[in-house]
Amino acid sequence: MSSVIARARSEGRSKLLEHEAFELLRAYSIPTPDYGIARDEGEARSIAEKIGYPVAVKVVSRQIVHKTDVGGVALGISSPQELERACAAIKASVKAKAPYADIEGFLIQRMVPAGLELIIGAVYDDIFGHVIAFGLGGIFTELFRDVSMRLAPVDEDEAWRMVKEVKAYRLLQGYRGMPPRDVHAIVDILVKFSRLIVENPEIKEADLNPVIALSEGEGAYVVDARFLLGTP
Amino acid sequence: MADEGLEALISPQSVAVVGASPKQATVGYVLFENMANRFKGKAYFVNPKYDVVEMWGKQFKFYKSISEIDDKIDVVVVAVPAQVVPQVLEEAGRKGAKAAIIISSGFAEVGNKELEDEVKAVAKSYGMRVLGPNCIGVYNAFTGFDTVFLPAERAGRPPAGPLALISQSGAVAASIMDWTARRNIGLSVVVNYGNKADVGDVELLRHFAEDEKIRVVTIYIEGFKYPGEAKRFLEVAGEVSKKKPVIAYKAGRSSAAQRAVKSHTAALAGSYEMYRALFRQAGIIEASNLREMFDMAKALAMQPLPKGNRVLVITDSGGMGIQAVDMLEGLGLEVPEIPASIQRELRRELLPFAATTNPVDVTGSATDQHYKVALEALLPTAFFDMALVVTLMQVPGLTQNLAEYIIDAKRLRKPIVVVNFGGSKMVQDFTKALEDAEIPTYSTPDRAAKALWALYEYAKIRGVVRT
Repeated sequence: MSSVIARARSEGRSKLLEHEAFELLRAYSIPTPDYGIARDEGEARSIAEKIGYPVAVKVVSRQIVHKTDVGGVALGISSPQELERACAAIKASVKAKAPYADIEGFLIQRMVPAGLELIIGAVYDDIFGHVIAFGLGGIFTELFRDVSMRLAPVDEDEAWRMVKEVKAYRLLQGYRGMPPRDVHAIVDILVKFSRLIVENPEIKEADLNPVIALSEGEGAYVVDARFLLGTP
Repeated sequence: MADEGLEALISPQSVAVVGASPKQATVGYVLFENMANRFKGKAYFVNPKYDVVEMWGKQFKFYKSISEIDDKIDVVVVAVPAQVVPQVLEEAGRKGAKAAIIISSGFAEVGNKELEDEVKAVAKSYGMRVLGPNCIGVYNAFTGFDTVFLPAERAGRPPAGPLALISQSGAVAASIMDWTARRNIGLSVVVNYGNKADVGDVELLRHFAEDEKIRVVTIYIEGFKYPGEAKRFLEVAGEVSKKKPVIAYKAGRSSAAQRAVKSHTAALAGSYEMYRALFRQAGIIEASNLREMFDMAKALAMQPLPKGNRVLVITDSGGMGIQAVDMLEGLGLEVPEIPASIQRELRRELLPFAATTNPVDVTGSATDQHYKVALEALLPTAFFDMALVVTLMQVPGLTQNLAEYIIDAKRLRKPIVVVNFGGSKMVQDFTKALEDAEIPTYSTPDRAAKALWALYEYAKIRGVVRT
């Protein structure tokens, strides 16, 4: 069991905080954009200076599950002034929409350049064990249910088959002027994520959403991640 | 290595039927009749109510108990009220039986889990394998071993052949038997495991993998019931599918996840999606209904595997050809064009108004010879991996000889399926000649196309496709 999961469980939490989720991903060498946790606007500024603009700002709170729904996320922040305004706006919005929530601070994350958005996830089922899922983001998974799944563990060959199985694979290969994406990097994330899940069976549900696939040779990054733990 | 217990369940040499009865229209009677008249091994009948029974011009001794039988017993078939079953198993165990088939119901399926656990415990203490309870058991066309308690005159028994069926449902198994019997499809072994107290899909798959006479395994499944069962299934099925084709039809597909979930992934991963994932991962070909399962099984049992996905279509009906192309392409198979140089050759030998493109339309004025010309000129070339041949025998120029030409093309070692329908004697003879020679025939182009798809899918699973 990883130390972040042990800590969450000892605190009786069934959900990892966002920075804990990133810590877990990093422990398995899954690429995530540089980030830091700021307690206030001042810290936010120095973190942003260090990792470089543009950045994303996300509220950190144990009580909030869907950050976007309560106005807890600001993207594409490119200057210290903008950053200050964004932190203030997030605070105000969260206070109004989720008055019960304690704001612990802000996650400042380097913005990943535009790419193709993917979802990688896992769910535990008593009969099937952990099942790993892969799909393209947005309507491809939600509306068309264009998702491939495998029982964990998923090795490299199986990960390739998962990626090629979705109809949207053609988009990854480059379609109508869009560049081909770094499919090797996606396969790499799938295999590492499978290992993460197998070695941490306490995880009941997980979403890496979105995973952004950049052009060939530039890799892929997990931009947001959610881990839910089962009862021990 | 074949498992002794499984071997005893499916191909026993000596059987004790507990609860056999000469009283007609009972389960005990059907078992008695099946085993007395058709089983090629030794059958002993146990029922304390009878002594000697005279039927079908023969005398049958009825035993008071299993222990009275003066012979070794491989399997005990149990058709007595549920409460008595543990006691019968106890006797079977003492007798040294390797397995028991419990037909009786009244166990976990009606909430009587303790009785089922007791049965399991008794069997385990004697190292006996158990099929059931609450099942129709086993049908084995090779040996005549038949515990299916539906009378043969009402539910047909299929002939021996290359297929086996594992079915979670007894009623579905029986209806498949009847259906395959009427179509003369060689379904040699059928097993229904009912409540799956012990033996289930995993053990049966492993058994059929070892059975040389079985070329294709079909599975009808509604759902697993034990924690971690999917994983064990994956491990075994993944190995079996490398040896022989496994086709599954999963019933109960409502895809919405039933449990309360918080994540995106969990909302997408309904139970049916997990079965589909499992089948893909295990190299199992999924059928979307029972007929399709046997359409595919027939092709997989009879035909070689293609090295690619390119299909040659030869037809005497333009309309049928178009339908075939629609289906084939929809399934991801290719219907490539024929090079102009080859078309020139063809044009010399076919009718002037024949289409020498793919599909090749030999037209309603075709003779047997035209099919032969097209098949021989095109199928052995590097342009095609398999053929779908539409033969509407209703046109005047075709004869029974056409079957010989098509059968002769088997030497090319590329899959061939035939579309052919109609009720006339000629059509039936033609179909029979082809099927006897292991050329699968289908009544519509979509079914034939799906059969070719299954061959291609399995070729990919076996890694024989040229890339």
